[in-house]
Amino acid sequence: MAETHSLQDMRQQTAITAKVFIQRDYSSGTMCQFQTKFPSELENRIDKQQFEETVRALNNMYAEAEKLGSQSYIEGCLACLTAYTVFLCMETHYEKVLKKIAKYIQEQNDKIYAPRGLLLTDPIERGLRVVEITIFEDRSLTR
Amino acid sequence: MPGSSSKSGGRGPSSSPLPHAVVPSSRPLRPSRYVPVSAAAFFLVGSTTLFFCFTCPWLSERFSVAVPIYNGIIFLFVLANFCMATFMDPGIFPRAEEDEDKEDDFRAPLYKTVEIRGIQVRMKWCSTCRFYRPPRCSHCSVCDNCVEDFDHHCPWVNNCIGRRNYRYFFLFLLSLTAHIMAVFGFGLLFILYHRQNIDRLHAIVTLAVMCVAGLFFIPVAGLTGFHIVLVARGRTTNEQVTGKFRGGVNPFTSGCWKNVSHVLCSSQAPRYLGRKKCAQSVSLQPPFLRPQLTEAQLAAKILDNGIQGDLHRSKSSLEMMESQSCDAEPPPPPKPELRYPGITRGNTEECSLLNKAPPTPTMYKYRPTYSPGKNHTALTHAYANQLSRGESVGSARDSSSSTSSLLQASQQPGFRSQPSLDRRETSSERVGGGGGGERREVGREGGGGGGGIPGYSLGGRSYPSFSDPTVLSGVASRSSSSTHTSAGTVHISEATTASASFKSLANQTPPPHHPSRNGSLSYDSLLAGGDEFDKGVGVSSAAPDVSGGRPCTPAAGGGYSSPFLSSQQREAEMQSQSSQSPHHHHRSSHHHHPFLHHSSSSTSSSPPPPPERERLLGEPHLPVAPAGQTSSAPPPSHHHHHHHHHHHSHHHHHHSSSSSSTSRPPRFAAPHAAPHHAYPYRTRSTDTPLGSSSTTHPPRSPHPPPLGKSLSYSSAAAAEMQYRLVRKASASAGANAAGVGGGGGGGGGMGGGGIQVPKDELMQMKSLSRINGGQPFSSTSTSSCSAPSSPSHPVNASAPPRVACPSPALMRSPAHKPQGSGVKKVTGVGGTTYEISV
Repeated sequence: MAETHSLQDMRQQTAITAKVFIQRDYSSGTMCQFQTKFPSELENRIDKQQFEETVRALNNMYAEAEKLGSQSYIEGCLACLTAYTVFLCMETHYEKVLKKIAKYIQEQNDKIYAPRGLLLTDPIERGLRVVEITIFEDRSLTR
Repeated sequence: MPGSSSKSGGRGPSSSPLPHAVVPSSRPLRPSRYVPVSAAAFFLVGSTTLFFCFTCPWLSERFSVAVPIYNGIIFLFVLANFCMATFMDPGIFPRAEEDEDKEDDFRAPLYKTVEIRGIQVRMKWCSTCRFYRPPRCSHCSVCDNCVEDFDHHCPWVNNCIGRRNYRYFFLFLLSLTAHIMAVFGFGLLFILYHRQNIDRLHAIVTLAVMCVAGLFFIPVAGLTGFHIVLVARGRTTNEQVTGKFRGGVNPFTSGCWKNVSHVLCSSQAPRYLGRKKCAQSVSLQPPFLRPQLTEAQLAAKILDNGIQGDLHRSKSSLEMMESQSCDAEPPPPPKPELRYPGITRGNTEECSLLNKAPPTPTMYKYRPTYSPGKNHTALTHAYANQLSRGESVGSARDSSSSTSSLLQASQQPGFRSQPSLDRRETSSERVGGGGGGERREVGREGGGGGGGIPGYSLGGRSYPSFSDPTVLSGVASRSSSSTHTSAGTVHISEATTASASFKSLANQTPPPHHPSRNGSLSYDSLLAGGDEFDKGVGVSSAAPDVSGGRPCTPAAGGGYSSPFLSSQQREAEMQSQSSQSPHHHHRSSHHHHPFLHHSSSSTSSSPPPPPERERLLGEPHLPVAPAGQTSSAPPPSHHHHHHHHHHHSHHHHHHSSSSSSTSRPPRFAAPHAAPHHAYPYRTRSTDTPLGSSSTTHPPRSPHPPPLGKSLSYSSAAAAEMQYRLVRKASASAGANAAGVGGGGGGGGGMGGGGIQVPKDELMQMKSLSRINGGQPFSSTSTSSCSAPSSPSHPVNASAPPRVACPSPALMRSPAHKPQGSGVKKVTGVGGTTYEISV
């Protein structure tokens, strides 16, 4: 039955086999980018293309978050002028993009990764250091 | 207060179920920390208030109302930035979850090199936070957190200055300079116009305020100028005072304009701690889609009765290993997950993910050890492969993971067939029924405390200080898995302390119920572990070998400080290999033997040093796996019973020798070797020093770790040697680094670093900031700047995509270089020096 369970409930039924960590790609500085290299543990779980597309999309979104554009500049000026009280009511540009990223990851999980027994964890929960992919065991096939 | 939460947030994972939860800091309240910030706030607010009350009214009348307005705006700006700099989270990284560092072998190098814009930058392993520090990240000793883009720890705001609040700190300095100048200037104007009646109260107060302003102006302006230069250059205070880019190129700069705009105009960086976790509800319903789904595979899985499925899985994992070998570099050992793709580690993950992340104490990390009971056949294949490839570390890791997974598997009643039943019977016989059941329940707590296998935790190889056999045997047997786990963890941590240079030492995660971070914890866990630990000791000692580096990881849970001790111990042990090994094995309690025996026999395929176990167990009746048996198929343990007797005497130092050679064929440890008999267990290992180191690695481990142990030990030995080199370099460089830090601070007329007492001279602020900034990471910078690990590590760390790769290098390096061989210092880019052993 394809019910939606909370992640914790699902753990009772599907066991986590492994976790893969996609590390950061520092080749272009401290910008938040993740390595697009396809980890070997996922070789028989998901297409390489799919995976790389996901990581690239994430990278693009993080680049957009950290972009020094007009929005961030205006935001900074406004914050200065209001003695940073504007942060109490307004969401920063980065936070907005992070919300977008969270939604994207959720959507990717629902559409692509969960059917394959994988789960992406939002890297913000790990301090933007790694993208954690949890690999779930195919219990039904082993019983 | 955000500030206080930020200070304690980094420690959240240690005692809360959610890694990002902010929990009250366990640090004792230190009022001295608040003296500078209180003084700064007092002077700032007090002086400005006096200025507004006494000087401004006349000025506004005499000149213009714009004067107080201007001053008011600037003062507001100063206050806002001061508050933001004080209370804002500087960019604290949450502690890494336990599962994260499993990916890196416990013997992974202390440093990992990445290339940033063509320049090699070293990332150091943070033992407290359990990850490799991202570039520009540093661990603040005052706040005990890793901070992103760490600049310094400022005592005047009592907060670290990092990525998130550097802008506010910089603006605070700018605005404070402007404010001081304004106050001083307008005060001077007032005095000039009141020269005649200077004895009036207003004039006196204005004079006082001017004095304060003038006094603070020089250090503040100096610091402001310093930071303007830093911003223009794209450097942090940390990098400046440690001289990281003195001789080289700064890879983090993008030009003056871009640097300034990045500091001032970039969007506010997000907070990592204290984020509300949105619970993802995802439907995970097997069967799962596979990219190349083969019906045959599915059919096989559905039809198997457990054993075949496991074999199939192991085979497929082996196939994967084969495919991995197609990579350019030597095939890295398969990851534990890969090795047993189907094997469930659900309990572990569940425990680790749902429960709180284990406390950060670096001393304890339980690493799942090899589980002899389950799928030893599969393991044998895997380990044999690994051994043949000469990959110790990776295999160790894999074996440990597979071990844990095996343990998990065996825990599921009925999930596996024969082997687990045997094991369970054995354990119940020996251990006592109650414990067995509970042990089975054990999930991956504490880093996979060996599943239900009692004492599986690498505790067997714990350090002498912890593995006192009397303590172990004396402990009341508690079947709680957690205790077992913790006990194992303790031992593991002890064992791993020896490999100082490896992050596994710092990597250790004590079982969830171990909040403390110091050595005493091990004693508690020892007491708690009881029988489990005892039993597990034997088994775990067998297990570690199988998993190579893996088992050692938990064993190596020793904290960052303990490596020093352990390395010394290991050195000594290496030298007195034979004499010491019996002692170590003495510690194992006798009742380990029966269990060990079974486990070892089951894991006979792996090359655990049976002699060790024999020696330790000293129970002749225990079935003994034939020593020197390299076949991967483990015969039933009881069949080899008689064989062990013969091999008994020869296997005494098996573990030592086995550990050293990576290519050593799997050995079956004779579990019942008398602990106090020194058996000339020299085995195939050719690498005596490594073997000895490995032997000593678990000084007290009652049983030679199976299979993986030899590998892990040799890696441990290699790591040990490297670490010693690093330490020597650090020691020598320490003086230099200290000098650098001191020199930087000295420029500001500095007092002692870290002195919290505010001094009149604001120059102190500058120097203190620098020193404080420098000091927390002086030790790290010292080691990072001047004592990098052997080049094989950085090279290997950066080149191969997988973290496992450094292990082969690690393995090779000790073999190639003798202990204490010559070391050549090479200055790399960015002022970092590398030690190349010649």
